[in-house]
Amino acid sequence: MTSLLSLSLIIIPWLGALVVWRVGDNHPKWQHGLAVFFSVLAGILALLMIPYASSEVVFSLPMGSLFGELTFVSDGLAVALAAIACVVGSLAVLFSVDYMHGERQLGRFYAFVLLFIGAMTGLVLSSNLLFLFFFWEITALCSYALISFYNDDPKAVAGGMKALIITQFGGVGLLVGALTVFGQLGSYQIPNLIQHASNLPSGLLAVMGFGFLLAAAAKSAQFPFHTWLPDAMEAPTPISALIHAATMVNAGVYLLARFYPVFAPVPGWSFAVMLVGLITALLTAVMALTAMDLKRALAYSTVSQLGYMFYAIGAGGIFASQLHLLSHAVFKALLFLAAGSVIHSVGTRDMRKMGGLGKQMPFVRNVFILGALALAGFPIMNGFWSKELILEEGLKNTPWWAYGGMLIGAGLTAFYTLRMTWMVFFGEPREALHAHDAGKAMKISLGILAVGSFTTWLFVGGFSEMLARTLPFHEFHVLTLGALIEEVLFAPATYVALGVVMLGLAISWMVRKQATGPVPEALEVLSRESFGLDWLNRQIAKVTLRSASILQKTQTGEMNWNVVGIIGALALVLGILLWSAS
Amino acid sequence: MEITPYVLLSLGAVFCAYRAVRSHRLLASSLYLAGVSALVSVMLFLLGATEVAVIELSVGAGLVTVLLVYALSVVGEDAQDPVSVVPRPLAFVLVALVAGLIGWMTLPLMPLPQATRDLLLVDVLWKKRALDVWIQMVLIFSGVLGILGLLAESKTIKEQALEEEGMMESVSFVIAHQEAETQDIEATPEEV
Amino acid sequence: MNILNVVLFTVMCLLGVGLYGLLITRNLIKVVVVLQLLVKSVVLAFVLAGNVSGQPGIGQSVAATVIVADTVVAVVALALAVQVRVRFGTLDIQKISSLRG
Repeated sequence: MTSLLSLSLIIIPWLGALVVWRVGDNHPKWQHGLAVFFSVLAGILALLMIPYASSEVVFSLPMGSLFGELTFVSDGLAVALAAIACVVGSLAVLFSVDYMHGERQLGRFYAFVLLFIGAMTGLVLSSNLLFLFFFWEITALCSYALISFYNDDPKAVAGGMKALIITQFGGVGLLVGALTVFGQLGSYQIPNLIQHASNLPSGLLAVMGFGFLLAAAAKSAQFPFHTWLPDAMEAPTPISALIHAATMVNAGVYLLARFYPVFAPVPGWSFAVMLVGLITALLTAVMALTAMDLKRALAYSTVSQLGYMFYAIGAGGIFASQLHLLSHAVFKALLFLAAGSVIHSVGTRDMRKMGGLGKQMPFVRNVFILGALALAGFPIMNGFWSKELILEEGLKNTPWWAYGGMLIGAGLTAFYTLRMTWMVFFGEPREALHAHDAGKAMKISLGILAVGSFTTWLFVGGFSEMLARTLPFHEFHVLTLGALIEEVLFAPATYVALGVVMLGLAISWMVRKQATGPVPEALEVLSRESFGLDWLNRQIAKVTLRSASILQKTQTGEMNWNVVGIIGALALVLGILLWSAS
Repeated sequence: MEITPYVLLSLGAVFCAYRAVRSHRLLASSLYLAGVSALVSVMLFLLGATEVAVIELSVGAGLVTVLLVYALSVVGEDAQDPVSVVPRPLAFVLVALVAGLIGWMTLPLMPLPQATRDLLLVDVLWKKRALDVWIQMVLIFSGVLGILGLLAESKTIKEQALEEEGMMESVSFVIAHQEAETQDIEATPEEV
Repeated sequence: MNILNVVLFTVMCLLGVGLYGLLITRNLIKVVVVLQLLVKSVVLAFVLAGNVSGQPGIGQSVAATVIVADTVVAVVALALAVQVRVRFGTLDIQKISSLRG
């Protein structure tokens, strides 16, 4: 039963992708309807799988001695992330029915979205390291294709290329790790690795650990790879909500969470993870302060919150990081989709042109406020509980300056969140923009996500129990709802953090006129160049593209040169054979 | 010595092959190819594969040569083979490397058990390899179809060209006729 | 120096001359000639291998199959070459190559 469910979670979206593509762009209503059908079906199936989570292998297909076996394990981590991917995916597709109304080439759009949903579930369900890498690459491909969806816009194409090159660069770390495991243990299976991790020589384990950290940092846009995510905002907004807020960027966090028991003993690894999270969270929070593009501000905010999750993993609080992942997926998707409604109706992403839109778009304003409160960590909202858990873990296990930094980050988060909300929905309108409230399909998705943003923390008991039951090596402690409330409400650290958040909100309110005005030139340039790192990432992209065009010259299409290639390769192979035989 | 015919055949075949590749006129190339075919066929016969030798001779020296000559006549003897794109020294080095490596790996082999003429098991083995026979029949059939398709088109191209020519003539005739009519119509009011 | 070595030497030389021809030639029909040359070396090699391994029957039947298959290939290739001449007006590989870059 569970094997059928887990397989169907991958196959149904992929089947949907094929069907929507074949239906053709002349029947847009069919394409919208079929896409919604397949993604909602996947979402329901993913939710159905939650009670059946177990640590056993649910599906196994031998693929020969080179690839090992294609295995899927539906344990707590996998099921949680698969549920997030499918449910948020279906809400984003539902939203797209209104957002992409009248756009051309819908087949390409929906096919890649569904392909992505299937690949993401495959990634989290996979228990074979090599196949995890394959699904990882498929999600990167879909991300590139969807960022560059408007492929006659050079900015979109450049953004897509940059995202692809940087995430692939990190993917090398994952591949190196996978091959190292195979070389040492002879098998790609993850449970095998976790059990025998202590048998690996420590130098190799360190190489693997930092390789995985590289891959996770590149995929989740952490320091120093954080510049591709803001440029990826050229994608249509449902894509930004799905891929760059709720699912694909969580793949890095998932990777580190799953392999935590393997690498925790490596000296310096946890510290490195925590440091990466800390630097990213603070750096991008500052950049979000000065952003003028609504989606860019949300992108920086996403990276900052992912930094919190990395920090949590570095501090050893895996459960805290996963709970924050869940909360963040819900409220960030809500914020992006609400922003999408705004952008779609006023036609611009520049916040300097917006203002006072709350009167014209009351529903969107209300849900945006809910999402913003969750992001800032206001009590009752799900973001509050998960952020407090993270900060508590940090207080216990990390140096005082790291904890202090994250506290400041929480304050900054509150500050820029209020600034963003004020600039868009309140105050005097800066330009006479005509806005209409969200359409029906948009309202449904937004409503569901808004309800989720203050209810998902109620499931903490079941969530932690599922994780503890199915992931024995991670040593989870079961945290019931009552225990959570007690722990958070009665810890003094909570009130310190709450104080900082309130301080941030208050300061933001008081300086709202200056904060939403023009930003000092120096700060703006610094943020735009991502403190010098954007130059590094641009160089990487440029070098890659230039070497690609140089290699293009070897493809002459002339038989004589092709035969030279064949004979040269033959000579090489013969040489190797002779040399190894001697 | 038993080995003499082999040596002579071998040298002859290599010489003919070299001439086939390096001659400028295609007709000479195909004739040298026929020569190689004949010499290799004799060598096969000496090795004991009599049926294969017969097939090789009739097909290689007969069928392929005739086809090449026919193709050359249809195409028209093209200009001399132009200078090659790949520099000659490079080609020479590559080939010497590959052939040398393979030769080095295989030449110091054990001497072969002398091939005896009475091991003619080809007939018996056609039963084992009946699938090969079927595949060859399918291959020949599809080859024939391919040829018919390709060569038939070339005829229709000529016919189409002729048709177009004819149509052009008739169209120009119609235009001339129409011009004449309009001239008549213009002329009549004057008369009236 | 026995018969095996001589025949093997022939196979190597024919192979080498054939590969050299593939690298050098620019005329489409000459390519067909060179391919036929390579096939002859392969046939010789198969018969030789059959004899050496003590299964002359299999070696010979595979050699016969190879001759038939490659003859069909040569015939279709010649028909294609004729068509290329009709449509492109030239048989030079460099000039008719459109799969560039």
